[in-house]
Amino acid sequence: MSALTKQASGAGLASLSVMAWRNLWRNYRRTGIMIMAISIGVWAMIFMSALMRGMVEDILQRGVQQLPGHVQLHHPDYPDDPSVVNSLPENVVQAGIAEAGEAVSRWYARIKVPAIIASERESRGLVLLGVDPLAEHADIFANAQLLEGEFLNDPEDQGIVIGERLSDRLETRLGKRVVVMSQNPQNDIVERGLRVSGIYQAEFRGQEERYAYMSKNTLQSLLEIDGQVSEVAIFGQDYRDLSELLSGLQSTFDSNTGMKPEAWNEVNPYLGGAVRLMDGFVLFFIVIIFLALSFGLANTLVMAVFERVREIGLMLALGMRPGMVLGQIMIESVYLLGLGLALGNLLAWLSVVSIADGVDISAVAEGLEMAGMGTVLYPLMLSKDVISANVIVIVMGAIVSFMPAWHAAHYDPIRALTKPT
Amino acid sequence: MCIEIVNKLSGIRMLFAAIALLGASGTSVASENPDANQILRSAIDNWRGITSVSEMTMTINRPTWQRAMSLKAWTQGDKFSLVRLTAPVKDAGASTLINDKQMWSYAPKINRIIKIPASMMGQSWMGSDFSNKDIGRSTEILEQYNHTLLRSVQSEGHQVHTIVSIPHEDSPVVWGKEVLMIRDDYVILEHQYWDQDGVLVKRLKTMEVSEMGGRIIARRVRMSKLEEPEHWTEVLHHYVEFDVALPPHTFTLSNLRNPR
Repeated sequence: MSALTKQASGAGLASLSVMAWRNLWRNYRRTGIMIMAISIGVWAMIFMSALMRGMVEDILQRGVQQLPGHVQLHHPDYPDDPSVVNSLPENVVQAGIAEAGEAVSRWYARIKVPAIIASERESRGLVLLGVDPLAEHADIFANAQLLEGEFLNDPEDQGIVIGERLSDRLETRLGKRVVVMSQNPQNDIVERGLRVSGIYQAEFRGQEERYAYMSKNTLQSLLEIDGQVSEVAIFGQDYRDLSELLSGLQSTFDSNTGMKPEAWNEVNPYLGGAVRLMDGFVLFFIVIIFLALSFGLANTLVMAVFERVREIGLMLALGMRPGMVLGQIMIESVYLLGLGLALGNLLAWLSVVSIADGVDISAVAEGLEMAGMGTVLYPLMLSKDVISANVIVIVMGAIVSFMPAWHAAHYDPIRALTKPT
Repeated sequence: MCIEIVNKLSGIRMLFAAIALLGASGTSVASENPDANQILRSAIDNWRGITSVSEMTMTINRPTWQRAMSLKAWTQGDKFSLVRLTAPVKDAGASTLINDKQMWSYAPKINRIIKIPASMMGQSWMGSDFSNKDIGRSTEILEQYNHTLLRSVQSEGHQVHTIVSIPHEDSPVVWGKEVLMIRDDYVILEHQYWDQDGVLVKRLKTMEVSEMGGRIIARRVRMSKLEEPEHWTEVLHHYVEFDVALPPHTFTLSNLRNPR
């Protein structure tokens, strides 16, 4: 008996599906328009979130590169007072990182102190970076290029590399001497002349005035802090997953040295916040687009039901159970949603692929620079965004279409049949 | 904000130096054709250890305004100086103390002593054409430059030596070269600052030489910026006394705040 019912309902479902499919194309214009609306909505959800993801990824990658490092190590007081007093002994750092082992893919130590740079006519405040030119070269020039001259050659190099804008402000140029001034750990002024050995251009022009590069050993001897550094940049395998690296470093450094390893999202909370903000924002965005879409969907289905009141009444009078009427209309809307989704996903995929090489947005470069973005936007389509867009559309679409379907299933057959058209 | 990074013999220090040097001139005028280092070295040697007390007026001139202030200064050798404003009344009491490379400033209005940090060394001293650095500098000029005697000419009864000083590669000096004109009695007549492209940027010029406190000194000197016409600061000495016995607390922070 129960097997029979199942068979019957199975056959019923099959015929319901056929009827739903045919009903869909009775008014092909309306269906076509609805499919267009859904697909454009889905396209917008996926494509826009791909652009936003691309933007965040860009901000993150640049931010992490610029910090630099996935994890940074400082003297505990350095973030509040970035002076030479709060330095770290290089040999302790080296030993500690060796202990952290495989989790560290590469690292370097640098000096980072506020300083004054002066030419014959101007002086400016900036941050002086004492770097190991060989170790850091690739990271420094990921977002910058050397315009003139050459970068520092070795840790003993006696030159200074400044940004193009700074060189304009100082009215100096390649090969001329400038004077840098800072303070040693005794708070006495230290200063020396250096020749400008290179001029760089950064993607973010503001950096050009903020940072100047000197060789590590030269800066150490100027500041009288031999063997000391102010910042250690440590790179792991993947900046999204740092738990292993961080816990390794924390166990080595925290306990016996008081040095403080911090992940990139702690060193720069803006970057950490950007990711969380974007995750929430993408979901909101999808829901908002869907809300606009849902009115169109509900309207279409309500109209489809109202048009067919007498027809539904006849089917009910012929013995079709209300559940089947409900099912038929629901299947209809799921078909509609499915077609729209398929087309929308295809459109979104095509548009993402077509701009995979990046969109030039340099027209608004200055604003982007403030947000820490480059001038080329690369879309990033994440499967979780695609899945959430599709799931939201199907689930919420089904909920929206349930109302007219429920309504139709509960018509009184006599009234429905005699309803004047 | 314009920086002037100059050597020890410049700015207010140079004024003090000029004052002090002159008195000692009679004792060690060098040979007929002294070399440049020797001229500077004997100038500095003569000055070392000498104390002075002086009063002067500093006039700051700009295209649209001019202002004058009165100063009193105490110096001892090339390491210690104390300058205190006496007029106008609203600034009176503001003082600067220099102890070798360190520099403090006292502002009576807020009753605070500030140690001038590196970042402020380039800023103007009391709004004049002298920077804090001009005033505070006391490193050895002899060590940071190569000096050459360009020529010695006879002028107005004196021999005037022109010395070209080119800073060493790593000296904290922005200038391409400095040119000093020093009279045989060690009055510095002119000090020029040339940039690295060979353009004269500023000049400290002695406008008036006279005898004060028993020595011949540059009584009126003017620092002018050649790229900005009408921008100059002039210092005129009214009273100078040398070899004064200064109490040991003269160059202390407590004396900076509470003059005794």
